[in-house]
Amino acid sequence: MIDKNLYDIAIIGGGITGSALACALVNSQKTKSRRIALIEFNNMSNIREWKPPHLQFSNRVSSLTPRSIQFFKDIGVWENINHERIRPYKDIQVWDGISNARIRFNSDDSISINKNIEAIAWIIENNNIQHAILTKLAQYKDSNIDFLENTTVKRIMFDDVNYENEQFDLSDWPSLELSNGKVLKTRLLIGADGINSVVRSFASIESLGWDYNARAVVATLQVEPQVENATAWQRFLPTGPIAMLPLNNRFSSMVWSTTPTLASKICTLPSNNFIHLVNAAFRLRIADLEYLYSQLENCDIEFVKEFEWRQSIEKKAGIGNEIFPPLVLDVQEKSRAEFPLKMRNAESYVKERIALIGDAAHTIHPLAGQGLNQGLADVQSLVKVIEHGVVTGQDLGNIQLLKNYSSDRYLSNLMMLGAVDKLHKLFGNDFAPIVFMRSLGLQVINHLEPVKSEIIKYAMGIE
Amino acid sequence: MLHQLLFMLSSMLTRRIAQSISHYSVNNLFAKSLLSPREHYTTTNVPISNFQKSLLAVSSAFTAFFDPSRGDMIATLAETTSSIFLNKLRDEMLRDSKGRQILRERPIINSKTIDIPNLRTLPEGTFGKEYANFLDGEMVTPDTREKVKYIEDEELAYVMQRYRECHDFFHTLTKLPVSVEGELALKWFEFAQTKLPMTLISSVVGPLRLSSKERTRLFEKYVPWAIQCGSQSKLLMNVYFEECWNKDIAEMRKELGIYLVE
Ligand SMILES: Cc1cc2nc3c(=O)[nH]c(=O)nc-3n(C[C@H](O)[C@H](O)[C@H](O)COP(=O)(O)OP(=O)(O)OC[C@H]3O[C@@H](n4cnc5c(N)ncnc54)[C@H](O)[C@@H]3O)c2cc1C
Repeated sequence: MIDKNLYDIAIIGGGITGSALACALVNSQKTKSRRIALIEFNNMSNIREWKPPHLQFSNRVSSLTPRSIQFFKDIGVWENINHERIRPYKDIQVWDGISNARIRFNSDDSISINKNIEAIAWIIENNNIQHAILTKLAQYKDSNIDFLENTTVKRIMFDDVNYENEQFDLSDWPSLELSNGKVLKTRLLIGADGINSVVRSFASIESLGWDYNARAVVATLQVEPQVENATAWQRFLPTGPIAMLPLNNRFSSMVWSTTPTLASKICTLPSNNFIHLVNAAFRLRIADLEYLYSQLENCDIEFVKEFEWRQSIEKKAGIGNEIFPPLVLDVQEKSRAEFPLKMRNAESYVKERIALIGDAAHTIHPLAGQGLNQGLADVQSLVKVIEHGVVTGQDLGNIQLLKNYSSDRYLSNLMMLGAVDKLHKLFGNDFAPIVFMRSLGLQVINHLEPVKSEIIKYAMGIE
Repeated sequence: MLHQLLFMLSSMLTRRIAQSISHYSVNNLFAKSLLSPREHYTTTNVPISNFQKSLLAVSSAFTAFFDPSRGDMIATLAETTSSIFLNKLRDEMLRDSKGRQILRERPIINSKTIDIPNLRTLPEGTFGKEYANFLDGEMVTPDTREKVKYIEDEELAYVMQRYRECHDFFHTLTKLPVSVEGELALKWFEFAQTKLPMTLISSVVGPLRLSSKERTRLFEKYVPWAIQCGSQSKLLMNVYFEECWNKDIAEMRKELGIYLVE
């Protein structure tokens, strides 16, 4: 009886990183015989039975790097992806809202990138990824994994209780008290339970960082039909970046980080005004945008008229000749939502018998689309370390073993966090000398192909 | 002041770079297409390089100093040094509903668009009547303004044009006379409002031509008033003066935050 509640590895959190880790572990010849529990608070049946709605897209999408895609291929998840609903892109355009200085990344132009690379990244609905992982996991029903859905970890403790008939000393194994009344003991506890990780608090691991005074508004946009909608666009506004990511030739996904006050107004704006506010945010002067911000609660003003008038003026002045993202024609109903933006890094990713992965370990501003990719890199690294532990016959909860994981990932995550945070701060400034310097910087880099290649390789996970 | 200057310098540089790097192309066709659909503020548009602009600015500053009668030189000075700040001024207008209405409709002020004889018939104390009184008292007409050259951007050219055309309204509202002193005071007022460098440069160079008594009065009385009043009042570029003829001028001053210099 007691036996049944003993696990080698318990993963708390069945989000993308947690379930991907479970999948990778059962898929590996070296680790598949371990007893694994995957514990998720939500009921996953909706995602398991996900039927993609025709001509509609979820507002939660991620940009996955080639490295993350390769990982999904390796663990047999990629074959379960609905390929009609993903969009690779080879081109990124980033520009400054104040000076209009631009930088363009194109994987075809980059000299030092392998020409066989299909794309810089892929835009995929989170549901599509999660569905593919769950489909794969379902194939391992009879293996050593228990997927406990609808289950919350209520408490984690060291109870010092040693089960009598055990030949091992289990007193230092963490016990998990679940919402269904069961108590589990695990050799290795993995926190994949997101930003408010209970595993992290149990381990008394501090999470360092700050909340940005900003929120991200996401939405699914219907855009002017494109021959090939395959560019990721991002304009840095003084209030934060706005990005448009391609979903297919008629749809794109938006992530707009801005002040909390504006975010909530943008979310509730009548959709015809919202559409043109987005168009304005990509194409008009900051002063025009500021005027529109001041009119968000004014129902009498038609944003379309303001947009079209300013657009015609800018075209005449030659500014409209730049290439811009496709015009937004409509916004999918109920697709607007807002999220708080935070930057966090746990002071350590491991403790005796405990490891943190994904957002439980670190949270990043979404402007570079790296959060999930970092989480998946954690998974890959941790799987290698666990495999090594199994092969060399070590206790999987041993801190010395787990340290290999944190030394592999900590610095690399920290660097990405730092870089993205600096970018956010640099572009959140409208002080003229800084605008000047960053515009100059963008322009210079834009002409330095080798530097650009290095940046893009970093962003693609080809370190 | 140093802060302001530094700010200007850096914005100037920013704009320069921004222009050259954002493929902000100078459209030669502009010169031909400058005829606004509404009105004929036809301007001769001469595309010139930034370097030429700087040369023009420097040389016209000298000319303006040595030969104050060369109104065209003062105008040239304004245009070449201020394209950056015209952008700023336009941005201020774009942030304001009335400013946007003005930019959209591009109203023109001259004796053809404004019925001055009719303004003379308005009751005393109305803005229209006061304006007519000003024109008659100073024996000027709204038609004596320099045409805008050297500004390629059609809308910026309009902003410059409007700025000049509103000058007499500023006199009317502030009651400053058309003397050297009055003009300088108004320049400081405009500077406090707009941060346009032309106003700053002539306010620095101009006082050299005043007597020491006049200069003392300028700096002890007019300038403090101008800075205080100019920076706290509503930007006059965002006032649609043509809609205000019948307004009580005292009321109007109050709304705009303008008080008179004692
Ligand atoms: C607006 C926005 C846009 C983004 N865009 C991108 C992008 O383009 N590319 C990218 O790589 N990343 C992106 N990210 C980041 C990415 O979404 C996250 O990094 C990623 O989802 C984190 O996954 P996770 O599995 O670590 O955590 P989560 O997705 O937070 O999963 C945690 C799971 O744990 C469960 N759980 C929590 N506590 C308990 C408990 N006590 N018991 C049981 N279960 C529990 C939760 O129910 C949840 O399912 C974006 C984020 C935001 C906000």
